[in-house]
Amino acid sequence: MKYNITIGIECHVQLATKTKLFSEVDNDARDKDPNTCVSPVDYALPGMLPRLNREAIKLAIRAGKAMNAKINSYSRFDRKHYYYPDLPKGYQISQFYHPIIGKGFITLPDGTKVRIEHAHMEEDAGKLNHYDTYSLVDLNRAGTPLIEIVSMPDIHSAKQAHDYCKELWRAMTYAGVTIGDLFNGNMRFDVNISLAPEGAKELGKRAEIKNLNSFRSVERAVEYEYERQSKLLDKGEPVRQETRGWNDATGKTTFQRSKEEAQDYRYMPEPDIPPVKLSEEFISEEMAKVPLLPQDYREKFSGSLPADTLEVLLDYQPLMEKLSEVKDIKRIANWFASVLLAEEKSYEMLNDLPSAEQLNELAEMTEKQELSSTGAKEVFLKFFDPQMGKKSARDIAKELNVIQENDTGALEAIVDQVLADRACAQAIADFKAGSEKVIGFLVGQVMKASQGKANPGAAQQILRQKLQ
Amino acid sequence: MKITCEEIDHLAELSNFSLSDAEKKSLGQDLENIIGYISQLNELDTKGVEPTYQVFEMENVWRDDEILEQDASTDQLIALAPAEKDHQIKVPKVL
Amino acid sequence: MQIATKEITAESLVRAALDKAEEYKDYNIFTSLDKDGALKKAKIIDEKIKNGEEVGKLAGVPFAIKDNFLSPVGNTTASSKILEPLKSPITATSVKKLEDEGAIIIGRTNLDSFAHGSSTENSYFGPTLNSHDKTRVAGGSSGGSAVAVALGIVPFATGTDTGGSIRQPASFNGVYGFKPTYGTISRYGVVAMASSTDCIGFFANSAEDIDLLMSITSGRDPKDMTTLPDYYNIETGKSSDIKTIGIIKDFNNDSVAPEIREALKKKIEELKSAGHKIIEFDMPMLKYALAVYYIVVPAEISSNLSRHDGVRYGYRSSEAKDLDEVYGKSRSDGFMPENKRRIMIGNFVLSSGFYDAYYLKAQQARTLIIKEYENAFSKCDFILTPVAPNPAFKLGEKTNDPVAMYLEDVMSVPLNLAGVPGLAIPAGETKDGLSLGLQLVGPRRSDRELLRFASNIAKKEGK
Repeated sequence: MKYNITIGIECHVQLATKTKLFSEVDNDARDKDPNTCVSPVDYALPGMLPRLNREAIKLAIRAGKAMNAKINSYSRFDRKHYYYPDLPKGYQISQFYHPIIGKGFITLPDGTKVRIEHAHMEEDAGKLNHYDTYSLVDLNRAGTPLIEIVSMPDIHSAKQAHDYCKELWRAMTYAGVTIGDLFNGNMRFDVNISLAPEGAKELGKRAEIKNLNSFRSVERAVEYEYERQSKLLDKGEPVRQETRGWNDATGKTTFQRSKEEAQDYRYMPEPDIPPVKLSEEFISEEMAKVPLLPQDYREKFSGSLPADTLEVLLDYQPLMEKLSEVKDIKRIANWFASVLLAEEKSYEMLNDLPSAEQLNELAEMTEKQELSSTGAKEVFLKFFDPQMGKKSARDIAKELNVIQENDTGALEAIVDQVLADRACAQAIADFKAGSEKVIGFLVGQVMKASQGKANPGAAQQILRQKLQ
Repeated sequence: MKITCEEIDHLAELSNFSLSDAEKKSLGQDLENIIGYISQLNELDTKGVEPTYQVFEMENVWRDDEILEQDASTDQLIALAPAEKDHQIKVPKVL
Repeated sequence: MQIATKEITAESLVRAALDKAEEYKDYNIFTSLDKDGALKKAKIIDEKIKNGEEVGKLAGVPFAIKDNFLSPVGNTTASSKILEPLKSPITATSVKKLEDEGAIIIGRTNLDSFAHGSSTENSYFGPTLNSHDKTRVAGGSSGGSAVAVALGIVPFATGTDTGGSIRQPASFNGVYGFKPTYGTISRYGVVAMASSTDCIGFFANSAEDIDLLMSITSGRDPKDMTTLPDYYNIETGKSSDIKTIGIIKDFNNDSVAPEIREALKKKIEELKSAGHKIIEFDMPMLKYALAVYYIVVPAEISSNLSRHDGVRYGYRSSEAKDLDEVYGKSRSDGFMPENKRRIMIGNFVLSSGFYDAYYLKAQQARTLIIKEYENAFSKCDFILTPVAPNPAFKLGEKTNDPVAMYLEDVMSVPLNLAGVPGLAIPAGETKDGLSLGLQLVGPRRSDRELLRFASNIAKKEGK
């Protein structure tokens, strides 16, 4: 039987604040030793109280803008209770009754709008490291500010699930909300998947796959769940509502706990934190800081760039910004896609892109055939060279000696020189006898004689004229 | 209101207590009395009344995003743990 | 309050306090004493006085802290087994402010474990005895601090008041006890009971002494987001010395001991003769306050006490073999029965299916209680009521009946729900020599006015 798949995704985004949500310690614990970024507040010593970080509120407003959402003027925090050694207080400070971000949407590359139900702020938990007979608790991550973005069940394929997660990641990194380092868990996805026979009115029972941290694993987990659930349904067996984990190595989801075991979180308004009331001015001032978003660029460049190139480049906000400044968008976008991104160190190179002037000149020279496409690539790469990077396209091209000889007079002289060369006599004879392919050899000789500076197209043209 | 054994077990679980049967029995009786007392609120009409979670109308109490020295070092904190290894808090294996 | 001078040294003040603490050892007032530390600090102050250096407003004054205030002095046990091992690296803001003015901690005082109780019988270290009658309770939860001041061991002691825990033991022991407006003194570094009602306050022998302590400890603390911007030390201009005092009719009924009603009547007469105006009114919502309190407060307790789990500090059961047992056994061994009752009630009222009927409803009722206070204070400056329905009761008399114990709080808890200040003032003794107390209640932020009024009426009475 064929089934329709319905998917909703909850995404946790770690905010790029300097300090934690409720304490003034370093929020970036990457590459730090265990328990070195921990305040007495994060450790939940008795008598410790939260101290709200204003920057986290501001980043949440930006996140709201990046998902086309309304910011609620009134929001407050609640406590969510459960016991786990990585949760020092025995509750997580979250927002249950009055979240800061209201309804919004994210547009996928295929044009689908995925509605956002709401997004709320909360604190991250610590980490457990497991050994054979014991576990160790590291609280470096405890108290890191998060926003949790809850989508509506508007996603209907593994590809869309992948694209939604990626689009969220783009939106959040463009808006400066998060560093977006997926490897370090800066964004994590919980995916709810249910199947129903085609034409059925009601949704099926859903399984939730927790804690996915790459777009690819989201896609694979959805594909696996489609297979698993459709097999059950084919056999007439029920799909149970449950939480499942994802194993990247085996490519399978595994049972974790059923709905019946679901915890009672006993949400309670947080009495230690006064409510947040945001004025229109405060909200709009912060929203104004959000730059153009992926969807803005998509609309902006859809006329000038092929969709596949655009989607590749959209992963890199600096490239989008640069493209907005230059004239010959298509040519420069191609260098970005096929030259820059092919480099092993492209990630570092993105931090120090050439200026619009450099790129414009390079594009113009190429357009005027002063540079061959190979020569242009060479110059383009030298823009990233620490010694040459600040020089103009022309200066670099001169230094590399790659400017093409387009002067007809000079070219004619070289062609004459080549035609007069005895070593070419046989080739000339062959051409005149009708062998087309030797023209390549002759052009090569012209190139050689010009030390590579001749424009091969022009050289061929003159050769043909002279040999007629 | 009668509190069943299952409810006591559930509340003990939410409270993270391992209770003896005798304790369950005596706590169960106490809870029943207390819940009986607080249930007198049922007679009060509170329809349309806004709840008060905090007695002060304060709002937007927040701080700058700056790293500050804390009142206790991480070494002092970890030293309080009943069991410690490699500057981490040690607990029996979590399954 | 005696401050150290060249003649009366800090060392002599501290030694006298320590000697008295030793003399009254059988009252079980202290969970720990810091003799060596206190004497060392006293000598440093004396040295400073000798050298003519600046010493604070409380130079050399010995004091005691309720054992739920964090300080590196002794272990912060909250009179519980689960926190017994806790040696805090941190000092509570309020304690730090007192120490910065030269006051010297001599020890930590006993309380009902985690401040859950009205008698100090729920302490892991056993009950504290009443200063006037050793067969009776000290009141609670700040029983140790009340008795320490009542017996003259220290001139003042800190307390916490979540539902009467300062005012009731103050009245049981014949001293002044003050619960300020919610948010006046930082809660930072005080073991939390119920965040929305917990208040830090003091026991002392006069309203003037408390006024001084308030001026030192009040004010906004960046480490407690619920502290109010400083108002206590801001002069508001002089108001009339003649006050209108409200009397709540409902509190004058048969469930209140005759001697307490008599004391109230006598005080009303005194106030009248001093020229103050007395008005009577009903506050019908207050009869629900105790039920509201025993929903809201256990809910916050169940949440705030979740962190005591045997993982990061305090007691961990040595029998625990797996994580569930670390939690279950440490918490079951570590908490007293009353702690467990309140945690379970809290989890009950917050659990799914009961939240709206209990927790939400109680918080709505709380709004009505607050409105009733606002209405009352539109008619009068202060309200005068008993602190508790009875004088100190016998040890063990109510330990097996939690609801009877809770009823002791019926007149004290409404203030905490509304966040208004209350001062317990001594009001004579029963014929058996038990002390009696009354409380003056004011609107929010009227703390200084309230203390000065109490001080004025005490002066009039020649006390």
